[in-house]
Formats: sequence, structure tokens, C-alpha cells
Amino acid sequence: MRKKNICLTALFAVFCAAAMAAEPADNQPQQADIARLAEKVLLTDIIDVNQQSLVAVGERGHILISNDGQNWLQAVVPVQANLNSVFFVNKLQGWAVGHDASILVTTDGGANWQLQHYAPSTDKPLFDVYFADKDRGIAVGAYGLFYRTEDGGNTWQTEFHPELLAEEEQEYLEELAETDPDMYEVERGAILPHFNRLYADGNVLYMVGEAGFVAKSIDNGLNWNRLEAFYNGSLFDITRTAQMTLITVGLRGNAFISNDQGQSWAALILNKQATLNSAFSDDKGRLYLVGNAGTLLMSTDNGVSFKDFSLADGKAIVNGLLWRDQLLLTTEVGIKTINLSELK
Amino acid sequence: MSLNRLVNKFEYALFRHRAVVIFAFVLATLFLLFKATTIKLDAAFTKNIPLKHEYMQTYLRHAQDFGGANNILISLCDNSGDIFNANFFDTLRKAHDELLYTPGVDRVLVKSLFSPSTRFVEVVEDGFAGGPVIPADFVANKAGLAKVKENTEKAGIVGRMVADDYSCAMISAQLFEVDPDTGKQLDTIGFANTLEHNIRNKYQSDSISVHIIGFAKMVGDVANGAKGVLLFFAIAIAVTSIMVFFFCRSIMLTVLPIACSLIAVIWQMGLLSVMGFGIDPMSILVPFLVFAIGVSHGVQMINSTGKRVAAGMNAKTAAQASFRKLLVPGGVALLSDTVGFLTLLIIEIGVIRELAITASLGVAVIILTNLVLLPVLMSFVKFSQRYKEHAAAPTPKTDKIWFALSALATRKYAAVILIITAALFAFGYMQSQQLKIGDLHKGAPALHEDSRYNQDTDLITKRYAISVDYLNVMVETIPSACTEHSIMAKIDRFQWLMENIEGVQSTVSLASVSKSINAAFNEGNVKWRVLPRNTQSLVQASSRVETSTGLLNADCSVMPVILFLHDHKAETMERVVFAAKKYAQELNDEQTHFMLASGPAGVMAATNEAVAEAQQPMMWYVYGAVILLCLLSFRSLRATISVIVPLYVVSVLATALMTWLQIGLTVSTLPVIALGVGIGVDYGIYILSNMTPMLRDGVPLRQAYYEALKERGSAVLFTGITLAIGVSTWVFSALKFQVDMGILLTFMFVVNMLGAIVVLPALAAFLWRKK
Repeated sequence: MRKKNICLTALFAVFCAAAMAAEPADNQPQQADIARLAEKVLLTDIIDVNQQSLVAVGERGHILISNDGQNWLQAVVPVQANLNSVFFVNKLQGWAVGHDASILVTTDGGANWQLQHYAPSTDKPLFDVYFADKDRGIAVGAYGLFYRTEDGGNTWQTEFHPELLAEEEQEYLEELAETDPDMYEVERGAILPHFNRLYADGNVLYMVGEAGFVAKSIDNGLNWNRLEAFYNGSLFDITRTAQMTLITVGLRGNAFISNDQGQSWAALILNKQATLNSAFSDDKGRLYLVGNAGTLLMSTDNGVSFKDFSLADGKAIVNGLLWRDQLLLTTEVGIKTINLSELK
Repeated sequence: MSLNRLVNKFEYALFRHRAVVIFAFVLATLFLLFKATTIKLDAAFTKNIPLKHEYMQTYLRHAQDFGGANNILISLCDNSGDIFNANFFDTLRKAHDELLYTPGVDRVLVKSLFSPSTRFVEVVEDGFAGGPVIPADFVANKAGLAKVKENTEKAGIVGRMVADDYSCAMISAQLFEVDPDTGKQLDTIGFANTLEHNIRNKYQSDSISVHIIGFAKMVGDVANGAKGVLLFFAIAIAVTSIMVFFFCRSIMLTVLPIACSLIAVIWQMGLLSVMGFGIDPMSILVPFLVFAIGVSHGVQMINSTGKRVAAGMNAKTAAQASFRKLLVPGGVALLSDTVGFLTLLIIEIGVIRELAITASLGVAVIILTNLVLLPVLMSFVKFSQRYKEHAAAPTPKTDKIWFALSALATRKYAAVILIITAALFAFGYMQSQQLKIGDLHKGAPALHEDSRYNQDTDLITKRYAISVDYLNVMVETIPSACTEHSIMAKIDRFQWLMENIEGVQSTVSLASVSKSINAAFNEGNVKWRVLPRNTQSLVQASSRVETSTGLLNADCSVMPVILFLHDHKAETMERVVFAAKKYAQELNDEQTHFMLASGPAGVMAATNEAVAEAQQPMMWYVYGAVILLCLLSFRSLRATISVIVPLYVVSVLATALMTWLQIGLTVSTLPVIALGVGIGVDYGIYILSNMTPMLRDGVPLRQAYYEALKERGSAVLFTGITLAIGVSTWVFSALKFQVDMGILLTFMFVVNMLGAIVVLPALAAFLWRKK
């Protein structure tokens, strides 16, 4: 018995050493630097928390909070990974996700964040996060990266959704599982497209991604139904307009609308070459499309026609929202504010 | 008393063979005059660099791979505010080619829209597309120009090669120090003139303006401005001559000291030329200083001779006596100048060493021209009866002034003077501690703010995201480091930390470029703007960057982080360098070292540090030399203290004046204080050398001082004022540098003189006990 223990201890030590060797120093999360220019560099997402405050996330673990949309305060964040998305389930509790499969949680409205999940060895970014309530949520990202929690993020489990694959891909994987289990594992981690964005439309959850991927789920992402392909380029966002039209946007100025819950899609002619990163509406029913090369388009007629307000500096706009008659844009050079009155 | 015997012997030989002496001087002067006419203005970038400084060691280690810091930026601006027209592109291409084939330019590093290395990459549905920003089949029509504009944006060169508002386009180049084809040193000033003629004059038109900045252009402009210095010399010589005439009322006595001082300048220039040196534009004022110091000693000589002639001696005896009397004090003063200037040699910056040689050579030859030749020449002067009468006439008014002044040598007044001096010193000392190291203004401090060069600097800094003020932190690491995520992440972090330092305008490194390329590989999605952890992806991102970008060497074991600064003001440089050192220390490990520094601002940082380090030792050495020589000649500690203390107070006040005038301590202003000691020490030595024998014989201090004033006081007062008037005209100079020097020198001439006739006796009053 005693002997066995020693053996185990020795074995453990070897494992530990191996694990340490395999994990270089920069695989440890490092606290984000509080930086003067944090609000002037890449910001990827912004959210309005209960109409009271704003939370924006961006590169190097930057999370900025503001009460007025003008003065921003950098939150304490335990990781330096680029963050891609932020979601709040109530005015205090929210999550942010990003590179190195980082998942951060806040319980004080955004001032302090804790790391719930961090897996740099995956070398995969998470692109979006959605919580149905304060316990049940999913986070999605590159190469079909998919995590689920049922306990508010204390534990996250990966999920693989073969139903999101095309039929021939599913067959290929099944075959591989039998003939070459190692290769099967590798393929499983790379065969799915990038999941770029989640959008909850009431009870229906939409997800868009690489290579024209659009899927929807009616059970919070447990089971998915991949929609018929209508485009082969990447899609980066999907949203519903005030008039209940679905719109999805993507690579090189491509945008499509559907008036039948995604059954059929029609391409919009926007005459834009730049990639569109996000689409969002405000409470007055105006629809905004933002993208690379400073692209900013606004429609007041449910996407029938767009006015071009693209910014002259050509800097990529990643996302935005309307906040007290001001359009706040998260761009590659930080927050930009445009008065609604300027968009005429 | 062996010194006396030596002087006597020398005097005897000299005055016995006067014709031979003069003949020898004439020959030497003719020869050196001929040599002096061949002397050239000469400036080289490396001369301004402290090559031994650790930053410069880093710089030199990588100069082969990353080029030097001697850059030229040429911005062509279209007056319509938009460069996208056929005429502009035609001109830009021509100017680019012109610069490419200008000798001295490193052709590989000539960058503009037209250089083949200016490329773009873009993402399309089926992958990647890219090419030169200006396609091979470029035609300057509407479609062609629109394409170029699009490519420019894709290439991410807006702000670097094209102005932020598309009103200008940039051609940048690096210069060779030594031409690899001819092996010759670059003629910086000639190159600057070539730029002016072959680029600016040729391509500037009603619709296009040309703006050129960079070290070579700056030096060229300074050299052009320095030509105007000749005029100011002429004015100063004229003013001095007229003043000397009013002082001595004799044309011959006016001509001789002026001529001898000019001979000293000729000798100095000739000897420099013989030794193979040129004159650096920054040292252009030294010949004038030599002239000034020469006049100062010459006036003492004619004053002494004139007084003796008036007392009834004949010219030869009088000249001989003056020679005997003044050789030692004059020699000591000049020798201490010489040694003082020579000590500047310890500062390992080329221009300062040249200045040390130029200046010490100049003052050394004054010993020959003004202490030897001048009395010999004077022994031939026929003094008119009128002169003798005038000179012999009692001067009760002046004597009264001198007597009143001599009251300063009594303790009652001395105490007041010393208290005022102490107060001034304390105030000056506090001010002088605020002296900034480096340049305090944007652009070139040697030139006026409204000069063409500084306006061009202003335009380029305003319209572009870059300037010539950039500092490269060289990351020295392991081979193939650009495939190691941990190392690249470290570089990225360092870059970000530095970007946040105030004064840093923008930054670039292989890490930041690789991040953009990674995003480009991922459909141009900015969310992928990260360093991939996966080695293959990282290689994919970083291997697209060529070594010609200057962001990596062949095996990417060295990668610079380039920090573009807002300006090179002293405080900006200090802040950036401090932060860079701090973060480097935090991030350095066995594999990776963040090393300062390269790039023009890196060179400047090194220079600033070298100057700061040199400041104290230089003062010690200069004062050490002066103190030693005073001790040797006076053989009295009290006398030495009386000479040195006023001198030191003036040095401190001059530093305070520099602070007040916002003149930073730089390579070009560092020697000024040492030069000030040189021009100030004469006065005290002349006065005190007259007093010490009397004091030894028991003459009361006030009496001794009164006699010294009568004998030499007017010459001291006169010299100080004359030279001050001469240099004060420099405030009208086209060179800011000369204006600053004019003010500083005027101050030093006047205040040193006051120090010698006011503070010196006051100190003596307490140092010599009443008998």
C-alpha cells in the first residue's frame, strides 16, 4: 500500500513537470493593463445595461464602463486576451468572451471581472455569448467551439453539434470515428465553421457563421437546425428589424433579408465592397449596418433603402448601439460618438 | 625665479632679432592664410553621436541590418489638398527617381508610393489578393488614380507615405555615412544643397510644394545661415576697431592688436586645415571667440605700452617692458584657456572634440600672435608727440572713478558685494538646476522657428502620423523568434505599454503588423487581430513581412519596436526613454532583451544622456585646469580663490540664463560654459597679477587695487564692453543658434568683467588681512 502511494506520488510529479513544460509562461492569464489609450484602440462590442450604464469590450482584455457614454472607466480584468462579445442577463450579472476561449463574469455591473474559463491551448477565440437566464448560457466561437453552462458559468462543458454539419460531412465523420479515432478527434475540432454571432429572437436562437452558415434553435441551443444555404461567404451578424424582417450581414458588403423566419433570403444591393460586421436597430425602428472601411449605413424603411454615412477615416466599425440620441460605435480606434441629428 | 630668467632670456632674444621674428611670422601667416582659404564647412552625422554610449552600441550593432538614423523625409504636397491627379503623380515619380539616383542615398531604403516594396494585401472570398500599391500598368487617369487610392488604404500606409488627409505624399530615404561605391565620407552639406537644387527647386511649382526635413537638410540650412556669420564677424570687427581707436587715440595702436588677433584666427584656420579638419557649422563661432580673446589680450598690451611711452620710454623699451610684464599673466590666462578647452576632448562626441581642438588651437596661437608678435611690432611704432601728451595727461576724472571703485576692496563695501553675489549665486544655482538636457523646441533648435526647415517639420508632423523623431527599441532575441508566440506577445505588450506613454504618437513592430496580417488572413475580421498561438498560423502571419520593411532581420532574431514621437523635446525624450527602460527591465528574460535604441530619436536620447553625463566632469576639468595654472603662477591660494570664485558664479548665472532663455543643454550648447570660463579668466588674472607683487611688498589692499585699476582697469572695462557690443549684434542673425550664443556671450563678457572688477576685490578684502 505504502509502496503504491510512493509510486503515485512519483508519477504525479512527472505529470506535473510535463504539464509545466507544456504550459509556457504566457499560457497563464495575466491581468489586463490599465491603459490611457484603452478607449482609443480596438473595441468589439458594446451593451446597454438596464438603460443605466454601458459596457464595452475590446482588445487586450479591455472592458470599459460608462454612465454617460462619454467618460469611460476601465474595469479590472484578470486576462489580457482580446474580448469579442459581452452579454448581461440583468443589471449586475454579465459575461464577456474572447480569445484563448476566455469567459469572464461580473456580478457588480461590470466593475470587476472573474475568469470562469480560460483555455489558451485551444488557440480558438470565442465570438459570442448568450444567457437565457442567470444560470443557463452558451458561448460559441471559431471552428465550431461551443460551451454550455447550467450553473451560471461555474462549470462549462464543450458540446459538439453534428447536426450543424452538412450531410456528407456527417457521414465522413462517422466513417472516421470507426477507421481512425485520432484523426476523428482532430477533424471534430476543425470541421465545423466559425460561429460568429448569436441572436435571440424571443424563444428562437439564431446563429450565423463562416461560409454562409445560418442555424436556428428553439431550445436554447440544445438542438440546432441548419438553414438552407443561400450564400457561400462568411456572415457576421443577424438581427430582426422593427418590422419583423430578419437581416443578416457578412463579407464584402453582402446582406440578405428574410421575411419568412429564414426560409428564403433575398440579397440587398448595397453597392458596398467592405465587410459588414454588425447590424442593429434602435427603438425608433431605424436599422444600422456597420463594417470595415468606416462603413455606416442607416435605413429608416425596414432595409428597403439605405443612406450612406460612412466615416471618412476608413476605420473599421465593429458594432454599436443607440444611446440617448447618440450613436455609439465600437471601432478599431475605440469609441466613436455620432449625434443622431448628424445622420440626416 | 627661474621663470623670470627664462622670460628675460626670451625677451632679449626676441627683441634683438626683431626683423627675423617678423619675417618668420609673415611667412607662417602667408602659408597658413593660403591653407585657411581651403578650409571647408564640414558636417557628418556620426560626429554628433556619442559612439561609445550603450544605445549607440546597439545602434551600430544593427545599423547593417536596419539602416542608420540619418534620414531624409521629402513631402510633396498638392496645393489643391488632394494628391490624386496626374500632375502630382508624375512629379512624385520624378522626384522619387531623382532621389534614388542622388549619390549618398541608400537606394534600397528609398520609400514612397512608387517604391516596389510598397504593397498591399486584401481579402477576397477565395482568399488573398495583393500587389504593388501603384500597379505596373498604372495610368494616371481617373480610374487608375482611384485604384491607387484604394490600394493605399488597403496597404495601411495612410499617415506614413500619404498624409492623413491625402494632401501630401512622402518620399523617405536613408543616407550612407560612407559611400559604398567610392568609399568617401558623405558630404552632408553638399548633399543638402543637391536636395535644394535637384528636388525642391526642380519640382516645386504653383500646384506642388516641397518640404524636406532630416539631419542632412538641417545641417545644410545651418551651414547656409552660417555664411551670414561672416557679415556679423565683419560688424564685430568694425565695432571693435572703432572702440579701440577711441580707447587709444592712435591708428597704429588700433591696427596692431586687431591685426594680430586676425592673424591668430588665420593661424587657427590654417592649422586646422593642415591637420585635415574642416569647420563644423556648429563651431563656426569659435574663430570669433579667438578674435575676441585676442583683442582682450592685445588691448592689455597696447595699454601697457602706451602708458610706458607716455611715461617717457621709447617705443622699443616700452614694448619690451610690456612684454616682460604681461607674458606671464597673459600666458597663464591663455594657457588655462587652452588646457580648459582641451579637456573637452574627454567627451566622446565628435563635434565637441573638434570644437575642443579648434578652440584650444585658437587660444594657443594667441600666445604667439598677441603676446609675442604684438609687442615686437609695437616696438617699431613711432608715437607722435600729440599721443604722448594725450596719454601722459593726468586723468583726474577717471582716477576719481577708480578711487571710488577701489572702496570695494574695503570690508564695509565688500561685505555688501559679497552678500549680493551670494544671493545671486543662490538664485542662479536654483535656476541652473532646472536646466533641461536636450532640445526644448520642436524642429531644429539651431534654426529660427519661422525658418523654412522648422515650418516643414511642423507641416510634416501635422499632416502625417510619423516624423523623423522616432526611436527604435531593438528586441534582441533567439533566431526564429517571430515564430514563438511567447516572444511575439512580449513584443506586442511592450509596444502597447509604450504607445500609452505621452509623447508617443504611434508605434509599429513585427508583432503589430503580424496581428493585422492574421486578421487579413481571417477575412479581414478585426476580431482576429491577435497573435496566433499556433506556430504555423504565426509563421503564416509574420512571414509575409519582408526584411526590407525594417521590422526584422533575416532570421528574425532582432526586431525593432518603432516609436514615433510627437517631437524631440527634452521632456518628451526623457519620459519615453524612462518608460522604455522601465518596461524593458520588467519584460527582459534570458531569451529576449529590449535594447535602447536606434533611430534619430534614439541617437538623440543617447546624445542627451552623454551630454548630461559630460556636464559635471567638463566643469571639473575646465576649472581644474584654471585653478592649477593660477596656483602655479600666483603661488597663492588667496589669489587663486579671488580669480576662480567670480568666474564660477558667472558660470552658474550663465546656466541660469540658459534655463531662462529656454536653451537646452545639447551638443552645441554644452561647450559654451567652458568657453565662458575661457573668455572670463583673463580679466581677473590681469588685475590680480598687477596686485600681487604690490601686496607682497606690503602695499595696503585698497591702494594695490587702485593702482591695478589705474594700470589695467580701463583696459579690462573697455574690452568687456567692446566685445559685448560686438556679439550683441548677433541677435539679428538668421541662425537661432547664433542668436542664443550672442546673448550668452554678451552676458559672459559683461558679467565676467564685472566679476573681475567688483567681486574680485571684495573677496580680496576678506582674504588679505589688514597689515
